[in-house]
Amino acid sequence: MAGRVFGQSIPRNEDPYLLTGQAKFIDDIELPGMLHAAFYRSDYAHARIKKIDVSEARKLPGVIAVYTAEDFGEFVRPGPLQVPPPTAIKGSIFHARPLMPIAKDKVRYSGEPLAVIIAENRYIAEDAMDYIVAELEPLPAVTDLEKALEPGAPLVHEDLESNLAALVKQERGNYEEAAAKADVVIKKKIYVDRGAGAAMENRGLVVNWDDRAREMTIWATTQAPIPLRNSIATRLGLFEEQVRVITPFIGGGFGPKIMTSQPDDVLLPIIAMWLKRPIKWIEDRRENFLATTSERDQIHYAEIALTRDGIILGVKDVFYHNTGAYDPYGMTVPLNTQTHTVSCYEVPNFYTEIRMVFTNEYVVTPVRGAGRPEGVFVMERLLDYAAQELGMDPAEIRRRNLLRKERFPYPTGIIGQDFVEGVLDSGDYPETLRRVMEVIEYEKFRKEIQPQLRAQGKHKGIGIVCFTEGTAVGPYEGARVTVGANGKVTVATGISTQGQGHFTVFAQIAAEQLGVDVKDVNVITGDTGHFHWGAGTFASRGMGVAGTAVYNAAVKVRQKALQFGARFLGVSEDEVELCDGKVCVKGDPSRSMPLGEIALKANPTRGTIEPGVEPGLEATAYFGPPYGATGAGAVAMIVDVDPETMAVNIEKFAIVHDCGTVVNPLLLEGQVMGGVHMGIGNAFYEKIKYDENGQLLTASLMDYLIPQATDMPKEMIVEHLETPSPLNPLGMKGVGEAGAIPTPACFMQALEDALYEYRLQIDETPLNPSRLWELVQQAPKK
Amino acid sequence: MQLEGEHVFKGPREEVYAMFRDPEVLATAVPGAQSLTKIDDQHFEGAMNIRIGPVSGSFSGKVEVANEVYPEKFTLIVEGRGAPGFAKGMGDVELIDQGDGTTLLKYSGDVQIGGTLASVGQRMIDSVAKSIIKTAFETLDKALEARLAAKAGSAPVEFKAPTEAEFAAAVTKDMASGLSKVAEVRMLFYVIPLIVVLVIVAYLLSH
Repeated sequence: MAGRVFGQSIPRNEDPYLLTGQAKFIDDIELPGMLHAAFYRSDYAHARIKKIDVSEARKLPGVIAVYTAEDFGEFVRPGPLQVPPPTAIKGSIFHARPLMPIAKDKVRYSGEPLAVIIAENRYIAEDAMDYIVAELEPLPAVTDLEKALEPGAPLVHEDLESNLAALVKQERGNYEEAAAKADVVIKKKIYVDRGAGAAMENRGLVVNWDDRAREMTIWATTQAPIPLRNSIATRLGLFEEQVRVITPFIGGGFGPKIMTSQPDDVLLPIIAMWLKRPIKWIEDRRENFLATTSERDQIHYAEIALTRDGIILGVKDVFYHNTGAYDPYGMTVPLNTQTHTVSCYEVPNFYTEIRMVFTNEYVVTPVRGAGRPEGVFVMERLLDYAAQELGMDPAEIRRRNLLRKERFPYPTGIIGQDFVEGVLDSGDYPETLRRVMEVIEYEKFRKEIQPQLRAQGKHKGIGIVCFTEGTAVGPYEGARVTVGANGKVTVATGISTQGQGHFTVFAQIAAEQLGVDVKDVNVITGDTGHFHWGAGTFASRGMGVAGTAVYNAAVKVRQKALQFGARFLGVSEDEVELCDGKVCVKGDPSRSMPLGEIALKANPTRGTIEPGVEPGLEATAYFGPPYGATGAGAVAMIVDVDPETMAVNIEKFAIVHDCGTVVNPLLLEGQVMGGVHMGIGNAFYEKIKYDENGQLLTASLMDYLIPQATDMPKEMIVEHLETPSPLNPLGMKGVGEAGAIPTPACFMQALEDALYEYRLQIDETPLNPSRLWELVQQAPKK
Repeated sequence: MQLEGEHVFKGPREEVYAMFRDPEVLATAVPGAQSLTKIDDQHFEGAMNIRIGPVSGSFSGKVEVANEVYPEKFTLIVEGRGAPGFAKGMGDVELIDQGDGTTLLKYSGDVQIGGTLASVGQRMIDSVAKSIIKTAFETLDKALEARLAAKAGSAPVEFKAPTEAEFAAAVTKDMASGLSKVAEVRMLFYVIPLIVVLVIVAYLLSH
């Protein structure tokens, strides 16, 4: 599929700006008369608000205004719900409790805003907080997912009968019947704890209301500029055209920046309109931990039923999912868990039940992986326990159960986050497993190297797991491709960019079609003034959905260029072709016309084309798949564990990944490695911890550990299998979350293998050296 | 969460109890106390400065002395709030006459903390709390020695409370020597200093 530039390892167009410090980030924006905002947040996780006295804070010189819930009047209402309820799933229960923009009457999580301070600068705004007196009556907090559902538990939302936020049951086949016939049934309780998106750049918002032009411009670090604009316009009673959202360069998204109605998104535009002055808010790291969404946090009661030969007969998984104090993002995360628990294996009978729970913690919404790592962790752990029980090799039990190539397209019978039944479109799962075993030299390690190491008293283990990644979901994205009179190309699309490399890969797609240099394609993302239809950057859908829209638009422009070029050159359309930025007559390169000149003439005002023809060398196209394309892969890793300190050294990590057609191998490798880094964090470093009173104990990078370069594998092998997806013309599947999904499961298997004499059955992630030490101490010894 | 510990004072129980009621001694035992106002015999309001690693600020709080049984025991109920967060705790203090002229002080309590104190200061709380308690007991040891010497009419023993700088140095030293390894004791150890300080001040004012 690789072409002249498409499919090639082309260095990133955006890097010169980023690497030389010329890129514009949100905190670089300075406007005349700009004010600064700070949020006064609740120290309590659950409390009734008696009184908030801001009178002294208002008197502080430099403070412009201090607002509490009562000042916002009708604006203080929940919502909106950003993702619809799962009504497509029969019998499902979902209690919509979208976010409140500011706490009124009651506080439901520690960090919930109680007041907003607007001041001449941030220092004054922060100082003013010391003068606010909040009288809160503490209430008992709920943080334990199972206890939260017990009768008599304190209620996060007192209008509900319990803390149950949602209940969704799905089944294919009949698990109980299958289990009754099974030779072996294994039951386990498995925990997947919470981690942050932890982008290098926190969130931020700059709002400017031009009262004379009646126009609002918002710079935001959002992954969803168009939904953000729509919700702000609706709330303020403006036309969408009166609100422009611009995303500057963003230092990482990883999921949480998809949220469009967090308190800052709601309140700051209102205040900017009231004060008629620009306002800036840049989130600090503590706020990021307290009040930017994070994810994982599930408890699974999982079972697997097998034959003696290790063939899976069925899987059952009843799990508790923490949604936090509100559920503004619907059920995307737990539905992803449901669809990813068994997805790469032949599991004829599968029962899965979500019990989504409200707690006095901050809200859970997708973070890279978005429910998929939890499902894969559960399934892969179950297979490891089964392999131990049956005395089988972990690779072998997987090989026996992977879906065969001939099974595609494979309907899964399970409805996913896009509310349609999941269909696995294409792939070759056994081949990814075979190749990963080959590149990590699995058999050699097991049979030759490891026995020698063990004889020397060394603790080196290998892990191997498989996974899928549902990607590129609808509903749709669009793009407009325009050739300028300068002969260069502009691509505008509605999604935004947080570092993925869209400025390069979208340029490659357009450049391939139009025969121009990749550097001559200017890509505009995340500016509603340039393109104003679309959904956003999530679910590894940038390439598969927006990339396809770019392709469709570029193909149209190419056709137009050939049509107009032939006309201007006085030949028929089938006599011309694109050559090096020009339309040339085939076989006679001396007769040609540069694209820029065609673009200039492709305008009826110049009399060169007839009125009624769509003007310009420009086209807009949209793309929406019927369901998402599913990537897949297999990973293996070799770890060396120091049994004294429980320090873990990852010696080698191999991934064989299939995301369909590869657009840029260089960027793909970066995406995969970044995902693996996050997966390592989720396995052994990153953990958001709340205490039993709902106090966040890890709100700084001192306590929330992110793996460093030295914690990455010493050797990393990234290989690709290209099974094109039939769901889009270029055959692309997403890859943004891939590395994060299988890594924790693989890490635990490798640890168990390294510390083989303790016969560990690790049922939780993340671990850390001291937790691993505890597990070893509790183990039944050699 | 439970917090507990003990300390042996080299003096009779009545003297130790009396010392805890001596405002001049107690006010100096823990640095940072700014004021304390008596509401009634059992209730006090006060303010103190706290510095736990990157978290610092002033707290205002209430102390209640309950279940007082002279010279055996008393219960402290402390609630403090400020820009750095809040602390809420209850602690039982018991004085046991060991029969050899020494007194064993036992304390146990239950504490909750919140806000920045918990979210950012959490990792330092353990060490800082232990240091505060340790320093406070060391200071009280000297104070007791001075009191007993004065009573016996012998040569006066010099008693000087540690300055805040000396205290900070002691905390750093304790943290460096790895005092904070015990994970379970975490938060409670932070409030103990607060309790101790407030109790001390409460006693000062009540007499």
